[in-house]
Amino acid sequence: MLNNHYVQRFVKGWRIFIKNPVGKAGIGILTVFMIMALASFCLPLFGPMYDPMTGIDPNIKISTPPSLTHWLGTDNVGRDIFAQLLEGAKVAFIVGLSSAFFSIVLGTVIGMVSGYAGGWVDAILMRTADIIMVMPSLVILLILASLFGQFNIWLIVFIIAIMRWPAVSRVIRSQTLSLKTRPFIEASRVAGASSVRIIFRHIMPNVLPLAFLYMTFRVTAAILVEAALSFLGFGDPSQVSWGMMLQWVWKSGHMFQAPYWLIPPGISISLLTLAFYMLGRAMDEVLDPRLRKEGQS
Amino acid sequence: MSLLSVDNLSIGYETKNGMVKAVDGISFSLEKGRPLGFVGESGCGKTTIGMTLMGLLPDNAKILSGSVRFQTQDLVRLTEDQWRSVRGKDIAMIFQAAMNALNPVYRVDDQVREAILAHRPDISDKELNHRIRELFELVEIPYERIHDYPHEYSGGMKQRVIIAMALACQPQVIIADEPTTALDVIVQDQILEELRAIQSKLNTGLIFISHDIAVVASICEDICVMYGGQIVETGTRKEVFSSPRHPYTKTLLGSYLSLDNEEHIIIPDMRESADLTLASGCCRFQANCTACDAACKSDQPTWIDISPTHKALCCDAGIIRNPHD
Amino acid sequence: MTNYDPDKHPLIEMKGVTKAYNPRKGFFGRKGNKVLALNDIDLNIHKGEIFGLVGQSGSGKTTTGRLLVKLEDPTHGKIRLKGELINDLGGKPLQHFRSKVQMIFQDPYQSLNPHLSIAETISEPLVVHGIGSPESRREKVIQTLETVGLRPGKAFYNHYPHQLSGGQRQRVAVARAIVLDPEFIVADEPTSMLDATIAIQLLRLLSRIRDEFGMTFLFITHNLAAAKYLCDRVAVIHEGHIVEVNTAENIIRNPEHPYTKKLIKVQPGFRF
Repeated sequence: MLNNHYVQRFVKGWRIFIKNPVGKAGIGILTVFMIMALASFCLPLFGPMYDPMTGIDPNIKISTPPSLTHWLGTDNVGRDIFAQLLEGAKVAFIVGLSSAFFSIVLGTVIGMVSGYAGGWVDAILMRTADIIMVMPSLVILLILASLFGQFNIWLIVFIIAIMRWPAVSRVIRSQTLSLKTRPFIEASRVAGASSVRIIFRHIMPNVLPLAFLYMTFRVTAAILVEAALSFLGFGDPSQVSWGMMLQWVWKSGHMFQAPYWLIPPGISISLLTLAFYMLGRAMDEVLDPRLRKEGQS
Repeated sequence: MSLLSVDNLSIGYETKNGMVKAVDGISFSLEKGRPLGFVGESGCGKTTIGMTLMGLLPDNAKILSGSVRFQTQDLVRLTEDQWRSVRGKDIAMIFQAAMNALNPVYRVDDQVREAILAHRPDISDKELNHRIRELFELVEIPYERIHDYPHEYSGGMKQRVIIAMALACQPQVIIADEPTTALDVIVQDQILEELRAIQSKLNTGLIFISHDIAVVASICEDICVMYGGQIVETGTRKEVFSSPRHPYTKTLLGSYLSLDNEEHIIIPDMRESADLTLASGCCRFQANCTACDAACKSDQPTWIDISPTHKALCCDAGIIRNPHD
Repeated sequence: MTNYDPDKHPLIEMKGVTKAYNPRKGFFGRKGNKVLALNDIDLNIHKGEIFGLVGQSGSGKTTTGRLLVKLEDPTHGKIRLKGELINDLGGKPLQHFRSKVQMIFQDPYQSLNPHLSIAETISEPLVVHGIGSPESRREKVIQTLETVGLRPGKAFYNHYPHQLSGGQRQRVAVARAIVLDPEFIVADEPTSMLDATIAIQLLRLLSRIRDEFGMTFLFITHNLAAAKYLCDRVAVIHEGHIVEVNTAENIIRNPEHPYTKKLIKVQPGFRF
């Protein structure tokens, strides 16, 4: 599938994308966070003291402000905040991208099948989607967490994905409905193509750009849900994440005493979600020529 | 004195591959009471001409040269504000997708009313109602149907409303761009009949644009055949259709199917669409021309007169002068 | 489908075919009227002929075409291909039917998937019916491209639809329709979106394909002149009824039904 045509399409889209100041800013912020996430893999090189979870500076027993050995200071047990911030970036990417990816795959496949099949298949799938869509995902997560204790990070990813596919599948379904009556789909039916072939060969390439667009918005949502969950104390206790850092600040009573500890994770959460949102907005413009200014075609 | 005269007009579109000349140095004039027809295939620039005369060119289009003289003004130089007092009032247009030009949530008579009020805000109610009644009579829509909504009308009736709206302010020039293309032949025939009747009754200037040579022939006294942004042949309809001289006109006529001409059909060998990036003034038909020779590539075609009203644009006077070929 | 005798059965036979559409119920449960797109149609198309179906928009001509390629099924009535009923085909027999009957659509800008190359588009029927190896399919596609006048075939093989003109796209659509060597092709207004000079070339191509491969065509059009030019026999359809069937020549010369007469009268021509 990967051939010249797709490369050309990507290059063309990229050119429009990068002309957009919003897209440019989004990519810029994202790059910074990506470097941070990658840098977290280098932490062990600096010795056990900089392990974000277990690395304790033997000389420090309380939260200290930024210094040369600890650029952003330490938390109340002497762990390096900068190391935690880097680790948090990695976790945010993992949680955001993987749960967005799962929910998009689920939503796209269900949307295409539902739209193409129609009838009772459509009815069952879409009623299910409606039910899940009206459920408040954070509340559900909190109830589940209070029932089963704290979650493993992958379980959180999975639950967010399950909660978040319906909106995608609705959009993909309506796109599929309009594609379904297009003559090239009918031509393929007349030629004898099976439904599976029509869905994956003919409909999917036409809805994929839209699915990717929704993925960027889903990343934003997933990061926020994970942060909220962690802050409320239902996160994965074995994982450092930005939400978890906020939870620690609050729990140890440093909310108003240690701005160097509170502000970095808070700002990171806002900036990263903003970056993905801006990415989505700029992609929107690539996909919808009506949003484009003249002369950019 | 002609009603409207266009001189050496060139229009380009800014695209990512540079400037594309959609209209290349065309000149014509419109006389009162003599409908002028533009005929040509998609991409020949005929719609761009209509849009220019209405001041509705898209943002990426640019008038490169030439003038459009109408009354005392040069339309090319009008600002958007000045256009607003010309458009719809002095020059009106019947659009290609007219079926969708009506707003579905307003009654048709209100839409015609709106069209009149836009240019005559101080008209009295009595006069306004009288005028609306007059217009609907003119396009033969029964009075009891004028309070209907557009969806209650058939395609042909919607097209009549569009014509009524175009006539609302008694324009001096009407531009009809493919007004019957979306209609069935039977309805098309009625609308063309209607247009002919209105035209001879009101004696306005009419510019009729279509890809269908027979439709143009049934309405227009004078014909301009367009190819690749240039007018390649112009004359009265009799001259152009009975004695076509330009190779493209012959191709176009030779490939037109009617009920009684199948033995005269010449299957053309048109491979390429016109190259609009060629330097200005070049013959744009050369790639598809059967009579083309080496000279056509380098020479600039010139206007060759066949009669005072009939002329064609070609590099080779011999081809144009010879009626049989 | 065995032992088909073209003298005994027409290739296509429609008997008493009716197609009704149920409009959605109104907002307050008001019942909409049934719309009869086709009303009791009888039609025979013989092997090797180009049969014209002429009508205006909403006359039911496109519905007829869609029924014949089984994009839709009739409400009542029987449709036979080579004497065998196709109404309730499913599974294997349906797949076999799909290899025998093809369609060419009206809008060449909509009938090709923009994300598939010309080669992928034309070879799709071969792939779904499991015909040939990748190499032999490639050969067949190039050969078919040349048959429809896209020469050299290799030059177009890796193109995408957006790189082609409208006329070239429609030729690709013709290539996709004939690549399986079907017996019957429905061409639904294949030239109405094309310029006259391009349209006439496409009509010529269809008639050449019939002569060369002996395929049978249903040519659906609103243009009586085009039907007369291309077709052996013509049916005029009006509001879901077939009002007249005759040879193209006779229909123009001695129209019997008032609707046909009217249609002939309003054909644009050069009257001045």
